Formats: sequence, structure tokens, C-alpha cells
Amino acid sequence: MVLRIEAKWEIPYVHSAGEHATKFFEALKEKKILGVKCPKCKRVLVPPRAFCERCHVDTDEWVEVKDEGVVETVTINYARFTGLPDPPYAVGIVKLDGADTGMLAYLGGVDLSDWKKAHEKLKVGTRVKAVWKDKPEGRITDILYFKPVEE
Amino acid sequence: MKVGIVGIGITSFGVHKEPFYNIAYEAAKKALEDAEMERHEIDNVVLGGYDVAVGRTISNMYTAPAAGGYLKDEIRVSDDAAYALALAYMRIKSGIFDVAMVLGYGHCSETPMELVELLSLDPFFHRDLGISYQMSYAMQSYAYRMRYGIDDETAAEVVVRARKRASKYEYAHVREEVTADEVLSSEMAIFPLRKLELPPWSDGCVALILAEETIAKRISSEPVWVEGLGWHTENYYLGSRDLAELFSTKKAAEKAYKMAGCDAKDVEAAEVMDLTPYHHLMALEALGFAASGRGKEVVESGFPVNSSGGALCTNAHGTTGLFLTASLALQIRDGRDRGIASAVSGYAAQNSIVTILGV
Amino acid sequence: MKRVAVVGVGQTKFRTRRDDKTHPELTREAVSRALEHAGITMDDVDAFVFGTMDPFDGINCPDRWSSTAAGFGKPFMKISTGGTTGLTTGIAAYQHVASGLFDVVVAVCTQRVGENVDAQPVLNTAVDPIYERYSGVGAISVAAIQATVHMQKYGTTEEQMAWVSVKDHENALKNPYAHIQKRLSVEDVLSSPVVSSPLKLYECCPRSDGSVAVVFASGEKAEEIRDNPAWILAESSISDSYFVGDRPDLAVWDSLTIAGRRLYRLAGIDDPKKDIDVAELYSPFTIQEILELEALGFAEKGEGAGLAEEGVTFVDGDMPTNPSGGVLCTNPIGATGLVRLGEASLQVMGEASNQVDGAEVALAHAWGGTLQFHALMLVSSHKKLRR
Repeated sequence: MVLRIEAKWEIPYVHSAGEHATKFFEALKEKKILGVKCPKCKRVLVPPRAFCERCHVDTDEWVEVKDEGVVETVTINYARFTGLPDPPYAVGIVKLDGADTGMLAYLGGVDLSDWKKAHEKLKVGTRVKAVWKDKPEGRITDILYFKPVEE
Repeated sequence: MKVGIVGIGITSFGVHKEPFYNIAYEAAKKALEDAEMERHEIDNVVLGGYDVAVGRTISNMYTAPAAGGYLKDEIRVSDDAAYALALAYMRIKSGIFDVAMVLGYGHCSETPMELVELLSLDPFFHRDLGISYQMSYAMQSYAYRMRYGIDDETAAEVVVRARKRASKYEYAHVREEVTADEVLSSEMAIFPLRKLELPPWSDGCVALILAEETIAKRISSEPVWVEGLGWHTENYYLGSRDLAELFSTKKAAEKAYKMAGCDAKDVEAAEVMDLTPYHHLMALEALGFAASGRGKEVVESGFPVNSSGGALCTNAHGTTGLFLTASLALQIRDGRDRGIASAVSGYAAQNSIVTILGV
Repeated sequence: MKRVAVVGVGQTKFRTRRDDKTHPELTREAVSRALEHAGITMDDVDAFVFGTMDPFDGINCPDRWSSTAAGFGKPFMKISTGGTTGLTTGIAAYQHVASGLFDVVVAVCTQRVGENVDAQPVLNTAVDPIYERYSGVGAISVAAIQATVHMQKYGTTEEQMAWVSVKDHENALKNPYAHIQKRLSVEDVLSSPVVSSPLKLYECCPRSDGSVAVVFASGEKAEEIRDNPAWILAESSISDSYFVGDRPDLAVWDSLTIAGRRLYRLAGIDDPKKDIDVAELYSPFTIQEILELEALGFAEKGEGAGLAEEGVTFVDGDMPTNPSGGVLCTNPIGATGLVRLGEASLQVMGEASNQVDGAEVALAHAWGGTLQFHALMLVSSHKKLRR
């Protein structure tokens, strides 16, 4: 017999997004997705960041990218984890038209109950388009998910 | 083979609106500009800082690329970044690497730091007692004060001098001068510490570029050499320690002096991590500038201690020690021959690291 | 460059929970065993390097408490780099000795993931709160997105991935310290529930409590201490960019290829398949062993998947991989990388519980972050690569 003590951490944080990311979130309110273009390697980075990690230079050329792109990869989660959404839900990386990097996002608009069938509809290379919240609030979750577009 | 500091980048310290990885990038960029170097000339990055304090598990995920570590060797100490400098020294001294970016980050404004530190206590013996980080330093202060009969005025004088120096140091966080009366009449915060005797919680980053001797001489006309290093850890259980002495700093200093082949009389300046005015005095004693209980004589002598204003004016938890070391390096560049910097971490200065820099 | 060797390895039994011991007591168990294995005492140790991943244990900086068992009264340094922590702790300890500042240094990593009711909330905080934290990405999802691409690009099958799990579980039966000790068939793996598609439950690691310690010594000391030290030939680590969406192709782990090339260059390895006898890879999910074998040059791109099924990676195969049972059977997250080094060292000492016949060169690997970091170490029974 040993003593076991229950504990729970509740640490409040107020995270500052900084000027760059704030601009991105402001644009989301208008259902626009912004990236930044690195002045050196010319890659359009989405989500935008204040500096290019590869070139180690400031980035300040803003570029609007499409809310439509291609699935780079996907997985569907069927397990329940504390702090994560209720299963099943799909997440993946979407490379938006006009961007050179992929963006982590929810994928949807597809029946997820059978993972093999769902993967047939959400393949690497599948074209998808953003489904937006009716009233975007300037958070990443304004894009509810990306869903396949009929070719 | 020697190892030298060839680039120094210090951001402003205070309350920042940018996330810490943007500030880390700024520090790294400044250090590269200072050294007139490009990112690709660095062969590894050594980071120092805490996760919970900045609200990110694996916080080096952000700071490694910010420091210029994209596709480069990377490692992080989860302690004051003064330890990162020591690790970078060893990585170069061993011949494994040539040029290291050392980057320390602290970002205290986004979360209650006392709670973060409280969670570092074990959940059985200590945490439930609600001993905050600063309370542990207050207990040390009181033990020291009582053993050596240190009075309120002595402590207040340390604060007055610290603020005066910080007012002239562009990177310091709290730069308003105060009078002894103001210190003495400020409210009692954590006995025996008054409000103006407590350090601030700051945001900011420090980057230092370290290079192997031959390369350092090519890059810089004025490398600051790392001459001595020593670090030491004391017992976690506060009841098992003599709280009236900074024993971990004393042991760390002994090792650093031995490595540098010098002692306190050969040192021209000091930067000490004074989380309280009493720790200012205790550190000076532990570094060998005065006998126990007589640290105030060093203060009165005018010996240059904490030209940066010290931790009493700038305290970005996770890089306070490296901030002091970088500030010392600037003084060596400005003409001093040798200086010493000490940093502490953990409750009641459980851990200490001492760095000796010279020309 | 100074020669440095591993001269002692100590592990605790890994379990879901270790209710019998506190954090420092668990640390002490591993350290005592490592010192005993080396035949030295605490007095012989010049410094400690401690690794853990904050804050899985429910204690922020548990090193401060745990140092009562490993290093108080001595120089002590804390390393934390994510999943690579165990191995970067080993790398830091190696560098302590290689610098000439210390002769005998102990690296120790303790992690109590079991005390964390669900480790996922902690992992969530690794994800940037500004852009990515609210995208529902769990640790398993990160591996699953690799699997999706690998399967579609190279035709890797569920059966091939299941074989990796079968192999690791078979190996773990011989390792007394392994957490999960249970024989599995391919059918068992394939019929386990899908956790994060396409990965199934038995393709995923457990969460383990435990500690591991490794003793490093300078060349002269190492030869005094034992007849069969594990000589460190080289180490290497790498950081990729932060955003997981920046990875150009998730079907290949190119950052590991870069780190591997550096390691091989330092050690003088021309052909890893021939020159390396055994590998302990950080593969908490089946797909990752496949990606790692390909990235490190043990298989061509897209051809790593068949290796377990063909028997190549089994202990009696041409490229034994994870003979300890690997991360798939034991994962004390921040300690896991050091277990890899400990097991690799025991292989070249000829003392491993699931010994590869005649192993002379062994590779230890760890990855961390969201597919961002890698760390590698190479150990040998000889001071230099002998081929």
C-alpha cells in the first residue's frame, strides 16, 4: 500500500501572437488566408511567420493565397484523448494554391465511420476547399475544415 | 585550445508583445550582425530556457530554428542559459564543433511565474506548503541577515546602486532610480523582502556566438575568452542546507577559478544573479571577494559589481544568468581584463554556475 | 579528439506505473545499477547530466528533486529536447568527457509518464498555441500522416507494418526490462482497433515509467574500468523547421538522412548496411521504423516496409533492428533515447539480453518534436571502425 495523491495543473497563460500572426488572424475574419513571401528563397510561407527559418531573414511581403488546395497527407483519429476533439475526426496537411508550405488543418465533408472508405475520398493529392464558419472570429478554427471539391 | 565569444546579441528586456520565438530570432540576428557572420557559418545551436515558464512543452521546437538551427545540430539545457554557454564550450573544446550559437530565452509576462515554480516542487513534501520560489530566497535572506546582523539600510543601498546602474544600461528592464527611503518605505512583500527588493519578471533573449580559438581570431579582433567554468548542485531539501551561505555558488566558483588559474583578486568586474539584495552580498562572498557576512564592504568599496543592474532590475527566468554573462562580456570588450559572472537556479539557489571571461 | 566510451548501463524495469518508488528513488535504482555494472562508486563520478521531458511527470523540472539521487554535491546539468532528450542527454554527457573537463560522467533519464493520467494534454502544449494547437493533432496523428503518404506513394501494406510490431514484441520477450511482454501475431495487430488511421493500437507504443543511466569514461579510465567498453565513434543531431507543414515530403525522413550522413562521415562509414551490425531506433509507431531504415540507408526508398516480413530486421537477420523490443514495447518518453544508447552499448559489449551474434558496431537513434529533431550515436567494440 502506497499513498497516491491526485493533482491537476491549471496554469493560466495569455499567449501573444505577435504582429505577423495577428495580421493573418485579422484576414481570417474576412475569409482570406495570408502568407508571407521570403525575400531570399521566395517561398510563400503559410501560416505566415516573422522570419524564414531557412534563410534567417525577416519576411514582410504579404501574399494572399487561395482557400483551396491539395491534400498532402491525412489521418483520421478514432481514439478519445483528453483535450482533443471527440472522435472520429480527420486532420491533415493541405498545400493551398499559391503557398509553398503545407498547413495543418481539419479535413471533413466525408463519412469517417469506415477509415478505408474515408481514405479513398481523402487521398494524397485530393483537391479540397475550405468550409468557413458563418461568422469568423479571427481564430484558426474559423476554417471548420477542408472538404473535397468535385473535379 | 581556447574558446571565445565573437558575437553578442541582447534584445531589450521588459514586457514584450511579440512571441518569444520572434524575440529569440531578433537576438540571434543581432549576434550574427555583431560578429559580421551569416547563419550558415554556425555549426550548432545550444539553447537554454524553461518549457512551463513559456507555456510550451519542447520550447526548443521554436527557439532552435529562431537561433539559426535549421538543419543544424541542436541541443537545449532546461535551466538558466548560462548552462548552455558551458555546454557550448564543451562541444567546441572537445573538437566536435567549431562555432556555436548560444541562445537563452525567458518570457515571464504570459503566465504567473510563482505558480510555474511552485509546480517544480515535489507533490508530497513541499508543494502543499505553498512555498513560492521567492519565499525560498526570502528564507535564505533572513537566515543570512540574522547570522551576520545585516540591517535594512545595507539591503536598501544595494537596490539603490542596482537601479542607478540599470538606468544607464540600455538592455535593463527596470530602469527608474530609487532612493533608500523609497526602498525602506515600500511595502513588506515576502518577509524580510520589501517590494522594491524583489526582482521583476522580464521577457527577453540573449544570444552569444562562441568559436574555437583559431576561428575566433579570424572572425573577431576582440574575442572575449571563456577562461573558467564551474557548476555545482546542492541538496534539494531545504532543511538539509545551510541557508545563510550560497554554498553552490562557492563550490562552482572554486572550480571556475581553478580552471582559469586565478582567484578573486585577479578579477576586475563581477555580475551576480542577485534575486534579492541579500543574494547580492552572499554571491560576492561566495565568489571570494569578501569573507562571510562582509559582502557589504565590497559594495562600499566601489568595486564594479552588476554594471547591468543585475537580476534586481532584469530577470527573464531562464536567461537571467546568460544576460549577466553577456553584459560582462560587453565590459570585457570595453577594456576590463577579466570578469566573473554567477547564476543560480532552483529553490534557494540549489544550482549555481560561474563563468570567468577575459581578454 | 579524445576517446570516450560507455562503461556501464543500468535500467529499471519499465511499467505503466512504479508506485513503489518516488522520482529520485527511481533515478537511484538506475544509477546504482549502472555504477554496479561499471564496477565503480558514486565517488568516482565527476559530473551528472540529467534528462527528462518537462512536464510529463507532473513536476516542473523534476531534476531538482531527482538530483538528490544523482549528482547533488557535484556538477549537474539538465537537458531537455523533446523525444530526443534521452539521446541528447547521452550526447551532452559524452561531450562533458570529450572536452577533457571530466573523466567519468553519468547520464541519467527518468520519466514517469504513467503518473500523467493522459499524456496528450502535455503533448498538445508542444504545438504552437497561435496556429497549430487547435488542429487536433495528437502524437499518434503525426506518425499516422507519415504512414498515409508512405502507403500511397510506395504501396506499403498494413501487413508489412504489422510485421514490425510482431518482430518488436517477439524481441521484448527476451528483455527483462521491457514494458510490454506479449507475443503477437500479424492477425492480432491487424484486428486491433484503428487509433489514428492507418495506425492500429498494436502499432503504437505504451506509456512507461522508469529510469535509465549510462556511464561515460575517458579512454584511459574506460580501459581501467572494463575489458569491453563500448567506444563512441560519433554523434550527430539535427533540427528541422518548426512547422510540420514545411516538410517537403512526408514519405521520406530527409532530415534524418542528413543527420545520418554527418554521423557516417565522422565515423568513416561507407556502407551502413555492411558497417553497422545492429540498430536501436526510436520507433514508437511501426511506420517510423520503416521510414528510419530507409532514411539511414539500410533500405532503398520505399523498400523498408518489407524488411520485417522478410526477416531481415529480426535478431538473426541481416540488419537486426530493435532487438530490445524497441520503443514499440517500452516508451518512457524523455528516457527512451538513452535506453537506445544503453541497449546499443550492451550489444557491442556482447552483454545484451537479446544479443546479436558478433555485433561490433551499433547505432542508437531518437526523434522528437513534431517530426522536427533527430539525434544519433554510434558505438563500437573497437576504438575505430574496423572493416
